Amino acid sequence: MFKKLLFATTASPVCDNAAKVAFDLEMKWEAKLILLHVLGIPSRGFGLQVVDVRTGEKEQPSPDYLEWVTEELKTTYAAFLEESNARIVTAIGEPYREILRLARKEDVDMILMGAHSRDEEVGAARHRQVAGSTLRRVAKAARCPVVIVNRPCTTCWKLFSNIVVGTDFSKASESALLWGYKLAREVGANLHVFHAVDITAGGLTRPAGQTDLEQRIQEARRRIEHHLLPKIKGYEKTTVEVWEGIPYVEILKFARARQADLIVMAHHTREVDPEEAEMGSTVEEVVLRSSCPVASVNHPDKVADLL
Amino acid sequence: MPEGKLCNRQPVTTLEQLQALLADKGGKQYYEEMNRLEVDAKALWDTIQRTCKSRIRTWLEICTHCGLCAESCFYYLANHKDPSQVPAYKIQSTLGEIIRRKGRVDNAFLQYTMDTVFAKCTCCNRCAIYCPLGIDTGVMASYTRGLLFSQGFTPWEMKIGSGMHRIFRAQMDVTTEDWVETCQWMAEETSEDWPGLEIPIDKEGADILYTVNAREPKHYPEDIAQAAILFHVAGENWTVPSEGWEETSLAMFAGDWEGCRQQVQSVYDAMARLRPKRMVVTECGHAYRATVIEGPYWAGLPTGKTPVETLHYVEWVAEALRTGKLKIDPRKKIKEPVTYQDSCNYIRNGGLADAARYIMSRIAEDFREMGPSREHNFCCGGGGGLNGIGRYREQRNIGLKVKRDQILATGAKLVVAPCHNCWDAIRDLEEIYRIGIRWTFLKPLLINMIEVPEHLRPREE
Ligand code: SF4
Ligand code: SF4
Ligand code: SF4
Repeated sequence: MFKKLLFATTASPVCDNAAKVAFDLEMKWEAKLILLHVLGIPSRGFGLQVVDVRTGEKEQPSPDYLEWVTEELKTTYAAFLEESNARIVTAIGEPYREILRLARKEDVDMILMGAHSRDEEVGAARHRQVAGSTLRRVAKAARCPVVIVNRPCTTCWKLFSNIVVGTDFSKASESALLWGYKLAREVGANLHVFHAVDITAGGLTRPAGQTDLEQRIQEARRRIEHHLLPKIKGYEKTTVEVWEGIPYVEILKFARARQADLIVMAHHTREVDPEEAEMGSTVEEVVLRSSCPVASVNHPDKVADLL
Repeated sequence: MPEGKLCNRQPVTTLEQLQALLADKGGKQYYEEMNRLEVDAKALWDTIQRTCKSRIRTWLEICTHCGLCAESCFYYLANHKDPSQVPAYKIQSTLGEIIRRKGRVDNAFLQYTMDTVFAKCTCCNRCAIYCPLGIDTGVMASYTRGLLFSQGFTPWEMKIGSGMHRIFRAQMDVTTEDWVETCQWMAEETSEDWPGLEIPIDKEGADILYTVNAREPKHYPEDIAQAAILFHVAGENWTVPSEGWEETSLAMFAGDWEGCRQQVQSVYDAMARLRPKRMVVTECGHAYRATVIEGPYWAGLPTGKTPVETLHYVEWVAEALRTGKLKIDPRKKIKEPVTYQDSCNYIRNGGLADAARYIMSRIAEDFREMGPSREHNFCCGGGGGLNGIGRYREQRNIGLKVKRDQILATGAKLVVAPCHNCWDAIRDLEEIYRIGIRWTFLKPLLINMIEVPEHLRPREE
């Protein structure tokens, strides 16, 4: 299921854990790996200089400079590259835009990233052009799953035993479920389908009454069993669990309880400005706190075969 | 050495030449070659005799050196009233002198001229409204840039920029395929949230032909997506041309008049091909000037007008608000103090101050005018190509002080800047002077403020 992978890196330590996973997947799945580094952010008006993403300094991306950056990348990932055929690509632009552009052009099966936080993208922050975080914007628009690796992921993906899929019954989370299932089936892992009844939903400040909650939990369970499980064709290693609370907190707790190797969820939002989207913010909340990688799946393109 | 490999009198017309220039980091070799570039005095004088119309000659002759234009120039103000920054002095000591000497000037003189008409003048035309005789130094500086270009004395970035236009019919290396592909991509991405949204390409007879700044498809395609959202919500019948979509003109900054002509011709050809009722251009100042104000003359159109009526983006927005095609949710109006950067090009030279005022009255509760504003506003400091020329970075940064003080005086922390260059100059200004402001184009503001009709809202899942 992984023929072509895109590893988007800032070439800083934040991406080291993601790098390990990316190179490992390349090898285990015999995939083609593309390593993308977006090095500079251009101006809106006319200008040949770009702001270096890492230093915040202005640079002219001449062929020499591009070559120098490529050499630096090779040094950074030297240990991995020894056994890899990864193609190194550098680009000029806003990081999220260029990641999406290349992912679309190459029709990759998965994007891997570190938890690029805003503080770390010095140039981006200084340039004040990158409104939302790279992560959030890539997760929203990418047609393929986006896997964010924040902590060391020591388990080989082929040996995954527990995959947690969070669903909120949206169309997007259906794709997340199917993709989680696809991977679970391929590696023989347990698939834990999880939903959290959102006690904050609807702007309620007062938690709903206990009976009401019970009803909602029952209803959610029914929906999973009647509407979702048929879609994964009775995969026998499936469990269903519904909790209540703040969804992103609950999914983290649940993942911990199940010793999840991977969390799969949708981060759909249709706010134009991802910065202001409520749902979108859970990408980072989950990613930064999760001890395992998090896959954000928002589109059906890579599970079309299961539809 | 009469002419250099990179720095010479020939415009860039091939990809190889362009790449060679781009590989010369910062224009190091280019400027070294410029030091040895021979002046073709005869050709220079011929050109002047052929092209220097009586208007400019008269201006040069009738100037009384009264100095009334001095205070009108933001460079004069930003440089502690340095007398060498008086508009009349800047042009008399350069173009005036070249003409007096009948073109017999040397290399050093043309470099001085280049440094003057690029780093001391953004061709903002403000001084013209303060000269009692109506003498327009900006127009003359621009004319002088043309003379310099014909002699090979143009800043490195300008040589590249004009070459881009000649090769790609765009200020950046965006091919027709890249452009079409980008529009399709944005339609795909955006129609997820806006069901039914399209970016129609090459639709004949549309009400609106929309054209952009090449930096949008190249680096900021969401700008195109945002335009599409607003046209979509306004219910416009619109299209983009697959060719002739670029309205900016670095060739104009460079003074490469043939490059200018080729560029606007491609847009006018698109008009002829697709026969739209009107054209709307994106939020860009110099692009409007190039394609709408100057373009018809470059292309030799006898009417002096674009083949079809053309609106700057602010005119379209004002119209859409007035006719109710776009409705603002009153609760979402901007509450904080906000000011507006009047662009020299479409406000002073294009006369669109009222359209901008109307928009602000509809979207902001506390709109603060800069002082001075409208036609009298100062240049942002990045006009005339200055934002992008490394050689003149320092001078540009000093010039930004005037805009900084204007913005500070309004008390607003938000600046609406519907021009790519102004946007950039204000961004740079914040980076250098740290006055704690934010700035924005109109499109993202509007998208967060408009009422979306029921049938266009995304279906609930
Ligand atoms: S105001 Fe007019 S006449 Fe007076 S110095 Fe300036 S250009 Fe010359
Ligand atoms: S056109 Fe503008 S920049 Fe040039 S001299 Fe006049 S006021 Fe100054
Ligand atoms: S950048 Fe904007 S304000 Fe400055 S000269 Fe151009 S249009 Fe005028």
